[in-house]
Amino acid sequence: MPSILPALEWLEALAWATAIRESNWGYPIMETAHVASIVAFAGVVMVMDLRLVGLAFAQTPLTRIQRPLFPWQMAGFALSGVTGLLLFVVDPLRYYGNVFFRVKLVLLALAGFNALGFHLTIFRKVGRWDEDPLAPTTARLAGAVSLLFWSAIIVSGRLIASNWFN
Amino acid sequence: MKTKIIVALLTAGVLGAGQSALAHHPFAAEYDAEKPVTLTGTLSKMEWVNPHSWIYMDVKQPDGTVQKWTIESSGPGAMTRRGLKKTDFVAGMSLVVKGYAGRTKPAIANGRTLVLADGRSFYIGTVGGPNDGADKQ
Repeated sequence: MPSILPALEWLEALAWATAIRESNWGYPIMETAHVASIVAFAGVVMVMDLRLVGLAFAQTPLTRIQRPLFPWQMAGFALSGVTGLLLFVVDPLRYYGNVFFRVKLVLLALAGFNALGFHLTIFRKVGRWDEDPLAPTTARLAGAVSLLFWSAIIVSGRLIASNWFN
Repeated sequence: MKTKIIVALLTAGVLGAGQSALAHHPFAAEYDAEKPVTLTGTLSKMEWVNPHSWIYMDVKQPDGTVQKWTIESSGPGAMTRRGLKKTDFVAGMSLVVKGYAGRTKPAIANGRTLVLADGRSFYIGTVGGPNDGADKQ
């Protein structure tokens, strides 16, 4: 298997990546935007998850919470994704070797599969249980798993800055 | 009520995680405030990078051998505000760095004060270091 390292070295040497890495303001602004968009995204997702597991807004139909929040959720995800990708490109070799970064990527994939599974299965039939204060077990489970994964993603993201194992 | 408490805890957790993400490597996790060091030597390389810069220097030991030290210091923004420029760092120049050594890793330190060959002195510390007055000079 060819190593990914030459590609990462190429990324790191790009003129614009170097400019951001050495910038006075570009990097801090990008980093702040990354954190702020994650806060917005996770906050919105967690409101929906709490309704799913039955801990909040039990008397409100799920879709009345999910539908208006979904665009905000996707906007938060898009901004955190773009800024996250940029932060990676600015310092790819350090992230590549960082165990918490790898953990975060795996957790992101798992959280993505959970959300996809939820939307493709039980959420398709939401009309049948939309107003039930207690959602079906599969839906409650998806909500609980989502709360767990997104919390763990935030914690592992924070720990990337602590390079204990490098 | 129970729900309110849970929501408040989750919110606090998310906000707390976000806020501290900007502090980067917490000083106490990697460096020891009980191990102050003063390093005199020559610059081998300077990485003027975010989130923190790295100064690599050769320090001559009393027995004549050279020890290679790595010093974590402020990022470009803070360095610039304190009057330093990327071009102030030229490989081979003499410098003195005061800071605190790592807890476990050898020859690594958290920089606090940088003294250039012309005598100019700069604070190069990062957030979370000990309150030693290095930032007040």
